[in-house]
Amino acid sequence: MLIVDHLEAGYGKITVLKGISFEVPKGKIVSLIGSNGAGKTTTMRALSGMLTPHGGNIRFKGERITGKRSDQIAQLGVAHSPEGRRVFTSMSVHDNLILGAYTRLRRGEASKRIQSDLQRMFDLFPRLAERKTQLAGTLSGGEQQMLAMARALMMNPDLILLDEPSMGLAPILVAEIFAIIRRLREDGVTMLLVEQFASAALKVSDYGYVLEHGKIALHDSAERLSQNPAVIAAYLGGAAGH
Amino acid sequence: MIRWNQWSALLLTSVALISLPWLLPNDFYLHLAETILIYTVLLYGLDIVVGYTGQVSLGHAGLFGVGAYAAGVLSIKCGLGFWIALPASMGITAAFGILLALPALRVVGPYLAMVTLAFGTIIQILINEMDFLTDGPLGIKLSKPLIHAHHLSVVEYYGVVVLIFVLATIVMNRLVHSHWGRAFEALRDSPIATDCMGVSVYRYKVLAFVLSAGFAGVAGCLYGYSEQYISPNTYNFDLTILFLLAIIMGGRKSRFGALLGSTIIVLLPKLLDDIHSFRLTACLLAGAVLLGSVVSIRRGITTLKAVWIPVLGTVAIAVVSFQLEAMTDWRLSIFGVMILLVVYYLQDGIVGFSSQWVRKLKLADRMEQSIPFAAVDVNRAPITAQSQHSSEPFLKVSNVVMAFGGLKALNRVSFSVHRGAVLGLIGPNGSGKSTMMNVLTGLYKPTAGRIEFKQRDITGSDPSAIALNGMARTFQNVQLFGEMTVLDNVLVGLHHGFKSGLFGIALRLGRFGRDDQSLRERADRLLTMVGLQHHANELARNLPYGKQRLLEIARALALDPELLLLDEPAAGLTAADIVELLSIIKVIQAAGISVVLIEHHMDVIQAACQHVIVFDFGEIIAAGTPSDVQANPKVIEAYLGA
Repeated sequence: MLIVDHLEAGYGKITVLKGISFEVPKGKIVSLIGSNGAGKTTTMRALSGMLTPHGGNIRFKGERITGKRSDQIAQLGVAHSPEGRRVFTSMSVHDNLILGAYTRLRRGEASKRIQSDLQRMFDLFPRLAERKTQLAGTLSGGEQQMLAMARALMMNPDLILLDEPSMGLAPILVAEIFAIIRRLREDGVTMLLVEQFASAALKVSDYGYVLEHGKIALHDSAERLSQNPAVIAAYLGGAAGH
Repeated sequence: MIRWNQWSALLLTSVALISLPWLLPNDFYLHLAETILIYTVLLYGLDIVVGYTGQVSLGHAGLFGVGAYAAGVLSIKCGLGFWIALPASMGITAAFGILLALPALRVVGPYLAMVTLAFGTIIQILINEMDFLTDGPLGIKLSKPLIHAHHLSVVEYYGVVVLIFVLATIVMNRLVHSHWGRAFEALRDSPIATDCMGVSVYRYKVLAFVLSAGFAGVAGCLYGYSEQYISPNTYNFDLTILFLLAIIMGGRKSRFGALLGSTIIVLLPKLLDDIHSFRLTACLLAGAVLLGSVVSIRRGITTLKAVWIPVLGTVAIAVVSFQLEAMTDWRLSIFGVMILLVVYYLQDGIVGFSSQWVRKLKLADRMEQSIPFAAVDVNRAPITAQSQHSSEPFLKVSNVVMAFGGLKALNRVSFSVHRGAVLGLIGPNGSGKSTMMNVLTGLYKPTAGRIEFKQRDITGSDPSAIALNGMARTFQNVQLFGEMTVLDNVLVGLHHGFKSGLFGIALRLGRFGRDDQSLRERADRLLTMVGLQHHANELARNLPYGKQRLLEIARALALDPELLLLDEPAAGLTAADIVELLSIIKVIQAAGISVVLIEHHMDVIQAACQHVIVFDFGEIIAAGTPSDVQANPKVIEAYLGA
């Protein structure tokens, strides 16, 4: 589905990613783990076109998307649920979700199917159904995170980039978010996941890549990674557990 | 190094300016050069407001007029000479600035633009009507300044203008690189964080506007004596727009940009007066754009698709210039098209665009590797120790209610913090924890209740006053000054340590230098503590999220707080980062600084706090040691989950 080949990217004169390569196969969940500044969010931003790569190649469904604009990449079926949620605060929950389906509406897709997807989102996130008409800015942090995820799903994307879904959430909500990711996995969603709770992330993933100083230091199946002593020491240590 | 470059650039410019009278064919051109310099002085002032504080003023032509008329009236009606009129017009215009800024800047939003727009219109009408003072539409005639009973010649007066231009440049440079300049930029990037660093946003917005008016006053006075005739129609709204255009076209936050912008607004209309000079200008412009585009495309820093419109546009203007017989009918349209091209394609102004372009060219040759982040180093942490002995609670919150409309975000909350203690605040998202922080730091005025800090009632005080009183904080959604460097962010936190005023800054008095040096060292040690010493000159917004959180802690500690409020410092941190964060909290506590910690990571709460209170729906539902509250069934149900 997604093949990244020697991707280089950075901000201004600083290179953050120094040629990373990885793959996200169809129907699988892949986790990127690594410390702060390793380049996880930079990778996400380069993939969704919010940052122009300095070098390397990104292929999505066989098509080269390196350096394309973010709206073009979204049209091709990549949905980005960004770090820090970024919901449209002065619009209602309902309108946020409909905007998520913007690319589909533009293609003239029947509104019936969009309405049924909307219903699916409300089933998946019952809290959003309760707050359908409320302004997104008045939601709590956890509800905003759910909204950001649901908005990305409304695009009916082939690939979801999910950046830090549990950040700043109460423990009870973190558990809920991961339960939802597990459900999405059963539905066959393809996802690239960046998450500080590395242990929880690896539990819901098929594969994992460890980023260190802008390079892939290690990659393996998620199960084997979570048993790797070096990974446990560096990323899964006591502080991540609940 | 940079200092040296600036001085040599200034020296070169001054030498070039001084030699102009011998190079230019006649006084007409010298007068144009003089006008450019005078406008530049005004643009420096406008840049403080527009470029640094990010406000919009539509009244700078009015202030320019006030300066000119102040000089004219003082000279004709009061018989005062130029050397008294100059500082007097600066003072009078600054006073007008205060009158405008005090009410307009109290509210957030586009009010400054509205008020200054009204001011510009009113001042023009007033000048026309106040015959007894201004001679109305007739205007005031002035003769050149006197020295030793001798009127300065045109060239001599030009020398005076160059001198004042150079002085203004030096003062402006020192101003924007001082703690005042940093305060201006900080309040543009994040007013909330600026207030919470003990820098009153309101006061510094007013200060910026008043300084700006002062520059306009000086420029107005110089202009009056330059034209030797002051009439009300000169200082109209068109001129205000022209000044704004000059800043935008030349480039904000740049002395050279102001000079360039001023040159364009003075010279371009003159070049368009005459068909031959217009053809030359159009060809040069098309050539420059074409050459720049070819170089850029060959070096791979842009694509044909991105540049074809400006290239075609400028070439078309050049072609059209040879089709036209006379300029008179087309002048304004062409001026408009050129400005549109600049505003559309060079949003950072000509100077901003050029420096980015040069940087990109260099970059294409050599990419820099990012420097790895240093580890947190808490040995020799530069934290001022606080006195520890006191059993009295030094923060006491009693029955605080915070209502937004009908919603009670906080409902009769009471708790207290003892000196040197670390108190944890936990609870579901939206339960009122961050609202509590905002009430404590003065960002929200509580609906009811009372907050005592160090045995003093601080309920409803200003955020900056509370911050200076010893309460510092970080923010849940990071509030750094994104467009400023990492080092400057910490220096804003150290603002309270700079004691110099305007004269200290402008003259670089000894005290300013001493403060500057010692506080920069302190900032450097604070950055070392959080492992950011190698990234001091990076823009704060380019740091990864977790490092931004650490920078916020360093900035808060720069305030020398007695109480530090940390709002979710561990959000977005990896396991290894959290270990470092805990070591920082330990050092802070060891220095006797009390901490209130909002956090969702229970292991952080467990490791750092002696006492925890749990919020739900704006009320405290449990309190006790971390282990107590984790075993509390109510907390498990509302927050922790099974």
